[in-house]
Amino acid sequence: MSRPLLAAYPQAIARYDEMFEAQGTPRPHWRAMFDELDHAASPELMRERLQSVQRQIRENGVTYNVYADPQGADRPWELDLLPLILPPEEWAGVEAAVAQRATLLNRILLDIYGEQALLREGLLPPALIYGHAGFLRPCHGIRPPGGVMLHTYAVDLARSPDGRWWVVADRCQAPSGAGYALENRLVISRVFPELFRDLKVQHLASFFRTLRDSLAHWAPHDDEPPLMVLLTPGPYNETYFEHAYLARYLGFPLVEGHDLTARDGCVWLKTLSGLQRVHVILRRLDDDFCDPLELRSDSALGIAGITEAARRGNVLIANALGSNVLESGALMGFLPPLCERLLGEPLKMPSVATWWCGEPAALEAATARLDKLVIKSTFPQVRRDPVFGEDLSERRRAELITSLRSRPQNYVAQELVRLSQAPVWDRHHPRRLQARAIGLRVFACASPNGYVVMPGGLTRAATGPDARMISMQRGGASKDTWVLSAGPVSTFSMLRRNIGPQDLVRSGTNLSSRVVENLFWFGRYAERSDNTARLLRVAAGRFIDDFPSEHDQEWPAIVGLCRSYNLLDPECPADDEPALRRALLAAVSDETRPGLAATLRQLFRIAFQLRERLSLDNWRTLNHLLQDLARRGPHRASLNDTLADLDRTVVSIMTLSGFSLDGMTRDQGWRFLSIGRRLERLQFLCLALRQALARNQECALDWLLELADSIITYRSRYTARPEWLPVLDLLMLDESNPRSLAFQLLGLYDYLTRLGESYGPCGDALLAPFIGTLRRLDLELDLQPQSPVLMGLLEDLGTATNTLSEHLGLRFFSHVGDVNRQTFAT
Amino acid sequence: MTHLRYHVRHETHYHYSAPVVLSQQLLHLTPRVLPWQARLQHDIRLEPEPSESECREDYFGNPVTRIALLAPHQSLGVHAQSVVEVASREAATRPGPSEAWDAVREKLRRISPAPLLEAAQFLYDSPQVECAPALGAYARPSFALGRPLLDAVEDLNRRIFKDFEFDPRATTIATPLARVLAERRGVCQDFAHLMIGCLRTLGLAARYVSGYILTAPPPGQPRLIGADASHAWLSVFCPGNGWVDFDPTNNRKADNEHVTLAWGRDFSDVTPMRGVILGGGEQELEVRVTVTPVSPSPFAARAADRHP
Repeated sequence: MSRPLLAAYPQAIARYDEMFEAQGTPRPHWRAMFDELDHAASPELMRERLQSVQRQIRENGVTYNVYADPQGADRPWELDLLPLILPPEEWAGVEAAVAQRATLLNRILLDIYGEQALLREGLLPPALIYGHAGFLRPCHGIRPPGGVMLHTYAVDLARSPDGRWWVVADRCQAPSGAGYALENRLVISRVFPELFRDLKVQHLASFFRTLRDSLAHWAPHDDEPPLMVLLTPGPYNETYFEHAYLARYLGFPLVEGHDLTARDGCVWLKTLSGLQRVHVILRRLDDDFCDPLELRSDSALGIAGITEAARRGNVLIANALGSNVLESGALMGFLPPLCERLLGEPLKMPSVATWWCGEPAALEAATARLDKLVIKSTFPQVRRDPVFGEDLSERRRAELITSLRSRPQNYVAQELVRLSQAPVWDRHHPRRLQARAIGLRVFACASPNGYVVMPGGLTRAATGPDARMISMQRGGASKDTWVLSAGPVSTFSMLRRNIGPQDLVRSGTNLSSRVVENLFWFGRYAERSDNTARLLRVAAGRFIDDFPSEHDQEWPAIVGLCRSYNLLDPECPADDEPALRRALLAAVSDETRPGLAATLRQLFRIAFQLRERLSLDNWRTLNHLLQDLARRGPHRASLNDTLADLDRTVVSIMTLSGFSLDGMTRDQGWRFLSIGRRLERLQFLCLALRQALARNQECALDWLLELADSIITYRSRYTARPEWLPVLDLLMLDESNPRSLAFQLLGLYDYLTRLGESYGPCGDALLAPFIGTLRRLDLELDLQPQSPVLMGLLEDLGTATNTLSEHLGLRFFSHVGDVNRQTFAT
Repeated sequence: MTHLRYHVRHETHYHYSAPVVLSQQLLHLTPRVLPWQARLQHDIRLEPEPSESECREDYFGNPVTRIALLAPHQSLGVHAQSVVEVASREAATRPGPSEAWDAVREKLRRISPAPLLEAAQFLYDSPQVECAPALGAYARPSFALGRPLLDAVEDLNRRIFKDFEFDPRATTIATPLARVLAERRGVCQDFAHLMIGCLRTLGLAARYVSGYILTAPPPGQPRLIGADASHAWLSVFCPGNGWVDFDPTNNRKADNEHVTLAWGRDFSDVTPMRGVILGGGEQELEVRVTVTPVSPSPFAARAADRHP
């Protein structure tokens, strides 16, 4: 073939090719796509499409955490331009087989957690249940609503050279991928809108509606509409993006274990306005981590008492606690007779031949033909990479056989699958296809009318042409999956295009205490970073031309403030200038001591907890801050470089503060963020003013104006060098200066009274007296360093802000730091 | 004849340096009713009064009490007391040698037809007992091929008693078995876990038993080890005999000196008191157990007849 499109595309000899029935001859359901790629679309259009995909991924922040690294090892999601296309008649077979398998697995689960007839009848080996750490004994006997334990199910499929689909693995714990499939769809349907419409690709939205409606159907009933939440292990989880994405799509609050509490046999969400009953938990947290009281004795994560709530039928947990017991390759060999026994029909789709070595005959067969097999762990609790028999050296092979023989029940042997190949678009070429091995993950959910299969799925492509394993952890790419329809396509959308007045939402509902707490601390740490950067800039700047002691009128105050703000060791002598200089530079860049780097690290840690609530621009700015930090490292930089770094940091932090001022809706969450900022600034101002006042009348005041970013204002008002009266007026009483005590105090007071409208008095009474005192100050008598009133006022105000912070914490926060602890007594 | 009656007091006190705002506890403090053990009287008293309290049976059929305290508190006292009557089980043991241990292993290994399911519950790894070659190697000298199971187990029981030193300071509930085996010291929980690990590694079924033994010995007899705390031993499955209890800490079979609270795969299934608290700061824990013989009253004797 001379076509450039296929110049690098190998003819499939020993594999099934998804697109071509023969070299250059596309299968009928691929023809339209093939024509589009082969000649209809210009290279420019294809380039635009590629860019559009990448831009959407970036802008939507689609990521996959590779090593769950908070420092940004989030990798952008890999999505190929071309979908996998499946024709309606073929899909009908897949759909029926997956629905049957989900039905079967659910029945098996019910038996395992019920009468265990399958064990008694010898249809299931006890080792696979009693020896499986996922068999949660406290969950035995719990009756799930509607007889459903397996609400969501995913299955990994592979296609053999003869075109048949086979099951490679079942996912029953808390299957991931449906959200990524949805995101892939939104992106790819936008780059091929006409093809998408003309081919009558089935939509995904109604699947998610079925999931949501079915959960609501089985939710325990009281008089309220059911509150359904999505429980995530948190931002460090590899698929956290998907949790946040699905939660938003389904309209469920995204919660962590800390957000929930079990009391009176029910589960409650801790919100700003108190406890709210939770009816349904769609969990992405592994079941054994869900309840430290009953389920796992070595972890305090989860919600103590949640098992009891499920036992009493007061909360629906999907999937039911204990569903992980089905995740074992060893089960596959037993499914055909189980299907006959439980459903009275043959299993529709075969599993890839898999032997459980716990059976003596299987063990012998497996050791005899190890070269052709891949050896995996029977139980998910034993985390072990699959071993390919053909890769083993003689010695490793002997070792493996010894392990197999010593604990055979811990291993399964699986036939190697020769995966089918599908085209991917070559990003580095104007018009060229490459072939990649692919696997397909299909999703099903339980509904009152039986299992419903998502018409589509997550197609994953191997990295290289010959990869035997496909894994997103190892850098595979994904594809949208188009299931074509013979009839009309449902156009239902979860993201309803037409929102009527009755649908309008004005404030975030169910704002959880954890989110509010994190927003508060985000505000505090952002402001603290700003204070720290400015103070370090003032202090380090004094070293530029000469020795700071020559500024003897202000230097002692600056050193004093650095000490009370923890940036300098109190032991460090004020006259040892080289030591001070070293200490100040270290406070900029050394994360292991109090200072800018450590504060920014805290800020980033909290931002990470708020990931799904911060806009992309916030992230970009935070990333710049962090990159600067990483570049700076703990190495000693020159004074000039450090000052330049500090300038940049101050600008970035102001940018962040701009986002919260201009880019966030004024809901209660924003109010807490702002309260955090203002409290922090107020405290810092009090501290700085006290240091200045303590140095008596001789103290020069330029540094104080610089620190408070008020030099320009001062100069525009007064031509003289800074003097006490105008400086104190500007920094304390001027209600129009955002860096004055009065401005911050009034703002804070305003937020607290607003909060009080919803929740009753919130500490505004603590601040009210100070506003009065400030306004009553006598300009002539009181605004001078010797004034007995000023110092006392600043000290009292500092104390009041501390009290206020504690007060808010006790009242509203979930005490993230106050973790559950396990106790044991014999 | 050989019925003995005991009064058991099991007192647990927690003191916290800061208020605990929420506490949930699971108590395995109620003696099981068994063919050889009658529970004549039992109650659990709590200070402060819990907000919630309810009893049920756990997966293994043991009584378990779940309590929750929702009001802030700085101490928690749990007073469990029971009167139980225990019959000797020696007579129930089938005379003559038991089946060879390797024959029993094969029976348990067979998948089809369905094996003895009850025994299969206790064949595999559990949270605190992981089978390991080292455990098999230690046990092996007692398990010559063809040796009657109960003989072999009795021998292992004796060896553990001889080779290991009772030392309450050597281990905690989190000490792994490998270390117990390497250092040859521990307490009754460790010895029970160790012996269970040995038996399971060999392919035999063994379960963990939590309970008590008599505090003050009868005149002229030595005081048993582990008597002022809760005690632990194990049970091995022997076809024809059912479950037979061995106490490696005291080098004997458990009989009518042993009061059974509960059984499970290991300590984690039947921890006398397991909880999750929020707050509390530093905590101090005090546990006291006293077991005293009582003479049967006519009323109690009648009650005991129902559980011969």
